Amino acid sequence: MDIAPPPIAQAAAAPPQIEVAGLTKLYGDFTAVNDLSFTVRAGEVIGLVGPNGAGKTTTLRCLAGIIPPTRGHVRIGGFDLARQPIEAKRRLAFFSDEPRLFEYLTVSQHLTFVARIYGVADYRDIGRRLLEELEIADKADKLPGELSRGMKQKLAIACGLLHSPQVIFFDEPLTGLDPIGIRRMKDSILKRARNGAAILISSHLLHLLEEVCSHVLILKDGRKVIDGSLEDVRTRFSQQAGGGNLEDAFFRATGETKGEA
Amino acid sequence: MIAGALFYCQYHSWLNRLAARVRRLRQPKYLAGAVVGGLYVYFYLFHGFRPGHAGVAPPSKLALPPEMHDLPQTLAALVLMILLLLAWILPHSRAALAFSEAEIAFLFPAPISRRSLIHFKLLKSQTAILFSALIITLIRRAWGGGPFLTRALGFWVGMSVFNLHLLGSSFALTMLMDRGISTWKRRGIILGAAAAAAGWLFLWTRHSLPPFPGLPDPGGFAVLLGYIGRVLDSGPLPFLLTPFRMVVAPYFAADWRQFLIALGPALAIILLHYAWVMRSNVAFEEASVELSRKLAERMAAARAGNWQAARRPKKAARQPFELRPAGHPAMAVLWKNLISAGQYVTGRIWFMLLWVVAVAGGILHSASSHGGVGGGVGVGVMFLVVMLLAMSLFSGPQMLRNDLRQDLRVADVLKMFPMRGWQIVLGEVLTPAAILAGAQWLLILCGAMLCPGQLYHHAITPQARLSAALALAVLLPFIDLIALLIPNAAVLFFPAWFQLGKDVPRGFETMGQQLILMFGQLLALLLGLAPAGIAFTLVFMAGSLVHWPLAGLVLGAFAAAAILAVEAGLGIHLLGGVFERFDVSGEVL
Repeated sequence: MDIAPPPIAQAAAAPPQIEVAGLTKLYGDFTAVNDLSFTVRAGEVIGLVGPNGAGKTTTLRCLAGIIPPTRGHVRIGGFDLARQPIEAKRRLAFFSDEPRLFEYLTVSQHLTFVARIYGVADYRDIGRRLLEELEIADKADKLPGELSRGMKQKLAIACGLLHSPQVIFFDEPLTGLDPIGIRRMKDSILKRARNGAAILISSHLLHLLEEVCSHVLILKDGRKVIDGSLEDVRTRFSQQAGGGNLEDAFFRATGETKGEA
Repeated sequence: MIAGALFYCQYHSWLNRLAARVRRLRQPKYLAGAVVGGLYVYFYLFHGFRPGHAGVAPPSKLALPPEMHDLPQTLAALVLMILLLLAWILPHSRAALAFSEAEIAFLFPAPISRRSLIHFKLLKSQTAILFSALIITLIRRAWGGGPFLTRALGFWVGMSVFNLHLLGSSFALTMLMDRGISTWKRRGIILGAAAAAAGWLFLWTRHSLPPFPGLPDPGGFAVLLGYIGRVLDSGPLPFLLTPFRMVVAPYFAADWRQFLIALGPALAIILLHYAWVMRSNVAFEEASVELSRKLAERMAAARAGNWQAARRPKKAARQPFELRPAGHPAMAVLWKNLISAGQYVTGRIWFMLLWVVAVAGGILHSASSHGGVGGGVGVGVMFLVVMLLAMSLFSGPQMLRNDLRQDLRVADVLKMFPMRGWQIVLGEVLTPAAILAGAQWLLILCGAMLCPGQLYHHAITPQARLSAALALAVLLPFIDLIALLIPNAAVLFFPAWFQLGKDVPRGFETMGQQLILMFGQLLALLLGLAPAGIAFTLVFMAGSLVHWPLAGLVLGAFAAAAILAVEAGLGIHLLGGVFERFDVSGEVL
């Protein structure tokens, strides 16, 4: 089954869901993210790529409200993350590469807990559908310690999607998933983008990004090197050096060579 | 060659750890901790080495008469025998050597023989045993008594035998399992043999020694000791205890000459154990991998200050109440943490609690019956209630850690929730506060119901009983709340001192930090309770002046509770703001 990326033209007319302006994060003297600005509209899937230590995870954590930026502004669904954090956070979900779960809550208790936090009235039906979709419905009474890594990842995904977020951040979303899980995750990302979610994915798997992303943003040393639609980025770098895929674009944009890598 | 590589790994790991600890003294928090910790250790352990005290051990308070000179050694041998016997009874899983996860990853796939791995493990454990022996001997010296070096070496000998025996017995038990002898069958055989030996000893004692002197009166402790000494020194027991006495003999040597004489047989026993362990050919790798994983999890949790989470929940706990999707989000945090706390309320805990209450109640009842205070069971219960209430106030907030002390490790998850900081803090501290308040109300109810009508020849009217119970019931939950907010504030203000990460510092610095934190929290608690204490005193005195002391008691409790409630509200809002600004990247992860 071929996966079709989300329609770019349709997304271009949609309102911005993620607005980042001058985002900077310092750790002492070290600049993890430097003056980063970009916008993601409803229906867009943007791939965040860069070498190790480029600032991808720090960027995602700032956007999810986990760590405060040193400078700059972030708006989620039109709400300023610093001034209106509750409204902004109601609209987002963040999936880290390592599922973060409560060891003492069962699968179904996780959903009950998250439903109260986000005020999801019909969470039982939604939760059941999500668990069935993710194929962990039979694990409802299990503790995380009784689940495999992939199942834990699926539980984290079910918790994150329970409140139907408009903005979704993924940090290496395919880590720990089996081939079926990977396929379902790709389908799920695209389905949610088509339903109007703005999605930001950080991953080193460039072929994944080529399959699901409409846009790409390349970071290096905390700075934005390039951003734009996937086609645009490919075209710009193919004009310069004749390459035709995201991998070539990545190596040229970051000034690396495949041999060095 | 392999031994060289393993030694290199150990030596450089130790050196790097030491260098890292020295480097981090540049940070004020570690320097302050090191100074305080160092001073504490100096005054606690080395005080006796100062000029004027050098080499002079204070006399032991439990000096034994000359004819019982050997009793401590014999008792130590008996304890060692029982411990080693337990090593053959208790274990129920296959032999496993505790390696670190890194050691498993690097050493197990490497071309290293099983013998080399055991050697490596023995070498590592010897270092730890020697260090423990030095520390324990120092502590013991601080209590008073004994030549230091021979005691330390003697302790090392005893611990080495114990360690080697545990290893050898675990290998032997694994071999028994492989030959189809189940754990219960093996326990039955060993316990049967032990019971037969004990029975034989009992019969011999009955026929050969004068009758047991009965429970001695308070002044007759020596009679009991003397009888025990006779049992241990005559008949079959001395023969049974001989090898164990040989192991502990170096520790009890009075001087170097005695020590060297005792060391020979003890070293021979060590060598025999070593040969036994090395000749055992048991596959321990698979069980070791599992053990190492569990140890790593427990250590990470325990070092994070969360001793409860050091034990991974085995089965799901029931939810305390049904959580509806609509309502205050802080209740979700309370619900979650109550489930977490429920994991540890097992049947075993209830059994232990009942046992403690029954024993303590019996002792207190006996004491109160003989003390002439009157009231019988009621007085015993009253003492027990007061004791447990005091314990809940002082130890409860430190023991119940189902709050930010547990959850700061998942601060990144909490910070993603659409909740204000104060809502999260409120939900977090409500859990231990609710558990403590529930337990305290139960105790107050018991105390009020079983309180005697007369105590120390003073009549206690039902009104007095009710007023005191009401005052306590109103006041204690708010004191709990303040007592719980303080450690939670400490976690947020000084997260690096609370050991939240996996790579956690140890040593004098950490001990010093803990001491500073402990005294800081105590001071904060006293300051926090002072206004409420003043208010209570004033209202109570006013009530007493107008001859309504009971009304003064209750009203004073309400006034104090109101002040504590305002303080708690302000504290929760303050901590909420701190939590919102809390940068998990800089502090926790």
